[in-house]
Amino acid sequence: MDLLSQILQYAISGITAGSIYGVIGICWSVVYLMTSVLNFTTGEFVMLGGMLTWGFHAAGLGLFPASVIAVAATICISAVMERTTIRSVRYPSARTYMMLTIALGAVIKGSVLLKFGSETRKIDPIFGADVLHISGATLTPQVICVVGLLVIVTLGLSWFLNYTLFGKALRASAFNSTGARLVGIDVSKFRLFCFGLAGGLGAVTGIITAPITFTGYEIGLLTGLKGLVVAIVGNWTIPGTVAAALVLGLLEGFGAGFISPGLKDVFALTVMIIVLIVGTYRLPLWKRGT
Amino acid sequence: MKGHILPGLVMLAIFLLPIIVPSPYIIGVMCFIAIYGALALGKAVLMENSGIFSVAHPAWFGIGAYVTAIATIRGVPPLVSIGVAALCVACLAYIMGAPLLRLKEYYLANATFCLLIIMEIGIGNMGSLTGGHEGLMGIPPLTIGPIKFEGDRDFYFLSWGLCIGSLWFFHNLMTTRAGRALRTFMYSEVASKSMGINVSQYKLRIFVITSVMASLTGSILAFWLRFIEPAMFGIPLMIELLTMVIVGGGGILYGPILGAFTIMWLREVIQAYLARLLPVMTAEVDAVFFGIIVILTLIFMPGGIAGWVEQLMHAGRRVGERLTRP
Amino acid sequence: MSASPDHNILLKVDNLGKRFGGIHALADVAFELEKGSINSLIGPNGAGKTTFINVVTGIHAADSGEIVFQAENISGLPAHVIASKGIGRTFQLEELFAGLSVMENTLVGCHTQSSSGMLACGLSLPWARKEEKRLREIAMESLTFVGLEKRANDPISKLPLGERKLVGVARALSMNPTLLMLDEPVGGLAAHEAKKLVDLIYMLVGKGLTIFIVEHNMPFVMSLSEKVIVLDEGTKIAEGPPEQVRANQEVIRAYLGDEV
Repeated sequence: MDLLSQILQYAISGITAGSIYGVIGICWSVVYLMTSVLNFTTGEFVMLGGMLTWGFHAAGLGLFPASVIAVAATICISAVMERTTIRSVRYPSARTYMMLTIALGAVIKGSVLLKFGSETRKIDPIFGADVLHISGATLTPQVICVVGLLVIVTLGLSWFLNYTLFGKALRASAFNSTGARLVGIDVSKFRLFCFGLAGGLGAVTGIITAPITFTGYEIGLLTGLKGLVVAIVGNWTIPGTVAAALVLGLLEGFGAGFISPGLKDVFALTVMIIVLIVGTYRLPLWKRGT
Repeated sequence: MKGHILPGLVMLAIFLLPIIVPSPYIIGVMCFIAIYGALALGKAVLMENSGIFSVAHPAWFGIGAYVTAIATIRGVPPLVSIGVAALCVACLAYIMGAPLLRLKEYYLANATFCLLIIMEIGIGNMGSLTGGHEGLMGIPPLTIGPIKFEGDRDFYFLSWGLCIGSLWFFHNLMTTRAGRALRTFMYSEVASKSMGINVSQYKLRIFVITSVMASLTGSILAFWLRFIEPAMFGIPLMIELLTMVIVGGGGILYGPILGAFTIMWLREVIQAYLARLLPVMTAEVDAVFFGIIVILTLIFMPGGIAGWVEQLMHAGRRVGERLTRP
Repeated sequence: MSASPDHNILLKVDNLGKRFGGIHALADVAFELEKGSINSLIGPNGAGKTTFINVVTGIHAADSGEIVFQAENISGLPAHVIASKGIGRTFQLEELFAGLSVMENTLVGCHTQSSSGMLACGLSLPWARKEEKRLREIAMESLTFVGLEKRANDPISKLPLGERKLVGVARALSMNPTLLMLDEPVGGLAAHEAKKLVDLIYMLVGKGLTIFIVEHNMPFVMSLSEKVIVLDEGTKIAEGPPEQVRANQEVIRAYLGDEV
């Protein structure tokens, strides 16, 4: 492959990865801004989407119904999680929620391992395996789906939050929950909604990316973590998260291509850590440790 | 002096255990408890006391183990390798700590989480030096002069010596000036600074101290097992340490060690009985059980077992050296 | 301007300015505090009073101007260094260490009185132990001074507001300060508690401390202070003895104007 096609190819895989991280980052933000909970099961939602779809499909359901049920199931799991465990915490603090959701994530991961075994699974692409060629780089319809997902989610969520009554009420409660309660907004329903939304979005992401990246019980951790990293770097805003995600994805794509595929995580994560640290020196928005 | 009887009895029991119960199995498990307990203690000191949310502990543990192993294999005397490993870890922690500790709460947890992953991948990829993902074998035994430490019993005393030594160290620390300064960070760094405490310097110091302790623990592990692999030092260990701190109770100093004791014996029990029912018994699977235990503990017993014990024993007694929040 | 050669001036602030984003919290604030005096800083809400204390004690760095304490320029020094130079303070919102006992809170104030480091403390070296004993004596003295010696081992949560404020004072006193800055010390206190604080302040001045009080409570301020400084929207609009300030037209306008 000549250099141009290489660059293009890595860019494509980078943008694909970036789109995934972007949607996951938005899942983190939605829950965090609304409930102050750092939900470490976000990555597991993604995993559940892919694995449950595969499971239902393998059990005989068509691909599409299997996906729908998988998404619904993940939303339910997320909602149940919020209702039972997260709401029952007696001394809420960022630490407690963090540990709680890490534990929940481990439970989900282990359960999936028990049920489905440890091999990676594959789902067939939705639009078939036709491949487009652009200047020597390959582009599959699935990739377009992933990017499309990011666009839809970003635009849709922004519109929802800014232009619908429900969305505005949501933002209001995130900003000041006491005030929101005083005007009659049911804040606890909103928390449930946010968890459900994160679950659904995560699952959809998992399903759409499964044909490209395969799926297995352990993908949740790293993917979820990268989603968190871009959400933090993007300062929990939608445009910020998307921008950070695309940057991370491109870093990974080029890193994997030009440096070494095995070390792509190292490279990208290191850059992110540096960005986080540098941020404490300049931006007063990000809280400093001292 | 009443407060000294119970700890004294416990220490006596620990000391006498290998003599009374010479079962190698039990001694082996207790060795692990001492090692993980010491690690969990360090982690709790950082998290519950100083407000430093670093999850990088397994990294220091691993680097300590690896440097010790690699050096000893190449002929360096064991005691020197232990020292070299501790020095390496101290330098790394110092260099990385200064910028990292500026991050607050979960930002720091996030960054150190990334660090763990990077380290695990790094060790795995440096095959020629570290044996890669398959691990490093053939670590020579620990010999200090004419004394050779071999077998579970020797390492039982060594590991518990380290564990109890750490406990003693931190107990002294937390009841005096330097440790008190650390304890203020969770409540008000502004007030802390106004009282003359150099917050960033103290955070860095405790970070380095706990990392060196983790390194020493790693050295002991390397000499005991004579074999190490990257999987021992990664994310499952991090979650396990977190579990021990939560279940044991991070607010009281001996809590993490109690947590290590509980978790490890619970795991033995579960594996003995449930291994017959479930075919796949990897670290992730018992994560399900321990995840559930953590969840239940966080909801119903937020102070952990130690917190509950303290409540029973000390209702109304002086606050003294307690580290719990109200 | 160079440091004042007058040995009676403890603190001198000149052209002090602090911005937060576009807001001028402090602008061109300048005055001097004499040794052994009781001074007050008053002003409407948002005038910059707490910011002033924060800047002097080093929590925030000033954007412009100079702070000279005991003939030494301390502008730009970090908070913990300034604390060791002898400036102690209390906080409007107490900022006590909730998980520590009363005694331990006060002991933290003694931090600058000793230098045993982490290793010395952790290894329980004899001189570290001796230092610890000495610190406990200092803390007990401070607690006795404010009348809380019986509460030494209680957790902070058990104390009512008045006593918690006293713990803050004891903590600051343990620093052996030359200048004691009190941020809204009588806010929320009952009359007898405020009276007790007044007595404490007079005793402290008798021991040679200089007092600087930021307050809203007019009767308290006017009865106690030798000098009153008035801040409005970050600038000094008056300075002088209480009667003079009370009659000052600008001051009256600043306060009444707020209530309209």
